[in-house]
Amino acid sequence: MLYPCTMTPLAGDAAAVRCLLVSAGEYLCAMPLNQVRRVIAALAPHPLPSAAPELLGLAEFGGEPMPVLDLRRLVNAPAGATPTHPVTVVVWAGPPTGRELVGLAADAAISIVEVPAIAVTGASRGLIAGEALVGERPVRVLNLEQLGLD
Amino acid sequence: MKDEQSRESSSPLYGLVILVVTVALGFAAALAASPGSGRQWPATAFLGLGLGAVALYFGVTYLPQRRARHQAERASRLAERWERELVAGLEQLQAGDLVRSPEQVRGLPDRLATAFGSATRSLGALIQQIQNSSTDVATAGNAVHATASELASGSSQQAAAVVEITATMEELARTAAQIAGNAASQATLAAHAEETGETGVGAVEEALAGVEEVQKRISAIATRADTLGTRSKEIYRVLDLITEIAQETHILSLNAAIEAAAAGEHGRRFSVVADEVRRLAQRSQESVESVRNLLEEFSSSIRATVVATEEGGKEATRVLERSRAAAHAIEELRGALADTARTARETSLATEQQRTASDQVVLTLKEVSQVIQRMAEGLKHFSGTAERLNQLALNIQLLTQSFRLDAPRSLKHLCERWASDLGSRVGQWETAEMQLADLVAAHPFVEVAFLADGRGTMAAYSVNREWAGGRPATHVTIGMNLQERPWYQSVARDERPILTPLYDSILTGDRCFTVAAPVRDQQGRFAGVLGIDVNAKSWTKI
Repeated sequence: MLYPCTMTPLAGDAAAVRCLLVSAGEYLCAMPLNQVRRVIAALAPHPLPSAAPELLGLAEFGGEPMPVLDLRRLVNAPAGATPTHPVTVVVWAGPPTGRELVGLAADAAISIVEVPAIAVTGASRGLIAGEALVGERPVRVLNLEQLGLD
Repeated sequence: MKDEQSRESSSPLYGLVILVVTVALGFAAALAASPGSGRQWPATAFLGLGLGAVALYFGVTYLPQRRARHQAERASRLAERWERELVAGLEQLQAGDLVRSPEQVRGLPDRLATAFGSATRSLGALIQQIQNSSTDVATAGNAVHATASELASGSSQQAAAVVEITATMEELARTAAQIAGNAASQATLAAHAEETGETGVGAVEEALAGVEEVQKRISAIATRADTLGTRSKEIYRVLDLITEIAQETHILSLNAAIEAAAAGEHGRRFSVVADEVRRLAQRSQESVESVRNLLEEFSSSIRATVVATEEGGKEATRVLERSRAAAHAIEELRGALADTARTARETSLATEQQRTASDQVVLTLKEVSQVIQRMAEGLKHFSGTAERLNQLALNIQLLTQSFRLDAPRSLKHLCERWASDLGSRVGQWETAEMQLADLVAAHPFVEVAFLADGRGTMAAYSVNREWAGGRPATHVTIGMNLQERPWYQSVARDERPILTPLYDSILTGDRCFTVAAPVRDQQGRFAGVLGIDVNAKSWTKI
């Protein structure tokens, strides 16, 4: 089941970045659309022994193994309701020079929204670049370039 | 008659005198007519003839007539004596003394005395027979009176009892009428209940059919609800499929947007299409959600309907079972009501018959009561008649007792006999009381026996204790003057026993009469009066 989009896109603003809005637990997260490779139905990853908790395992995408991370754990979101249509968002992670495809397990892919650029290129050097209000709800904007570095 | 006899006895003497005078006058006339001695022979002849005629008359007529006259005189004296005796006898007879009456005519010729005695005895026998008959009649009358009185009393009690029974039967009849009315009402109610029971059975049967129909309808509804549930599941599956398609479309639109973004300016128009597809997918998803919600409500309603129909079916089954039980019970009730109605009708009929019978019994009892009352009145009349018969017998007895007979039942004779015995005590009246006591003891019908001396003074008396009953006899005392009493005067005057009319006894209050007889001394002179008061109630014991 899709979450209804309650955010108001920032239309016509040059300083806005189009992002994919997903839900992870009770958080809404936005990731730049140019770093998103594909949204697919939730993959069934093969767990890796002694892997970090946020690493759900490896799944096959495009004939290649791809690590699948738990986005809710990455953003430390409280567990929400059981998702009805979980998805795996395939994104480019890491710096532009050495980026690679990573799967982020999210509860749902909601919509395409436009987020102020300042929020995307915030001062934070962590996974969450900043926060923005989409409609009346706070949205955590992800800096996927930091995903590989962490 | 004596003058006539005297005339008849003196007529021959007169004839002789007339003849002698005639001869003497004829002789004298002949002597006068023929003066001288030569013409005296006619006178002499006449004298001779006259003397001859006188002698002839004396011998032929006078002497026989004188002899006959003497005989007639003797016969006349005898007849006079007989007449006196006969008169005395008849006077005694007139006085009712049939004892002395024959004694008075003992001097009469045997045939006459015998005839008189025979007539007196016949009269005495007749009187005794009348006395006995009157006693028998009185005894029978008393018995009839007692029986009639007892029957009248019994009839009165019976009439009273019949009246009470009639009243009870009338009450019973009224009760029977009420019972009959109640029974009729009960029969009507029972009949109505029977009809109501039949109607109830019909209604229950209809209700049973209705419940069965409801059960069938509920079963049909349950079947259709199951069908709807099954269809709902199919719809859910379709919705899931649509949801899945919408999700995939959504993801597809997102990927299209991603690809459009990757294409830069070239992908801007494609991005718009992708966005429209995403919106379409979202609306589809929203529509599916709406349909799902509606379907949830619909399914919930169906489940509720199913549950309701199941419960309704169970309830209908229970109602059906109860209705069948009720129908069975009502059927039994109808049978019971029919029995009750039949019994009530029979009861009503029986009570109606009972009421009719009670009315008939009441009518019969009233008739019986009237008959008994008439019978009681008749018995009272009969009792009165018996009492009058007793009184009549007493009157006859008193009439017969007015005769003195040489019979033990003749009170005059009885009193005369006791008075004769008391004759030896004249002058010693104080010794007469014992004899009076013997008299009273010997004759229980005597209330009081008393003796008055020749001056009418009470000399002695004796009271029957049984009649006195402990009451003191204050009406008799020694020395009381009885001279003015009519019975005393009658006995003292005629020296014959008398019988007084009935009067009320001072001692007992009963009707009684007094028999009194003269007491004579040894020389037959009147010396007093013996009286006995006879109680009329026990006169039949005389």
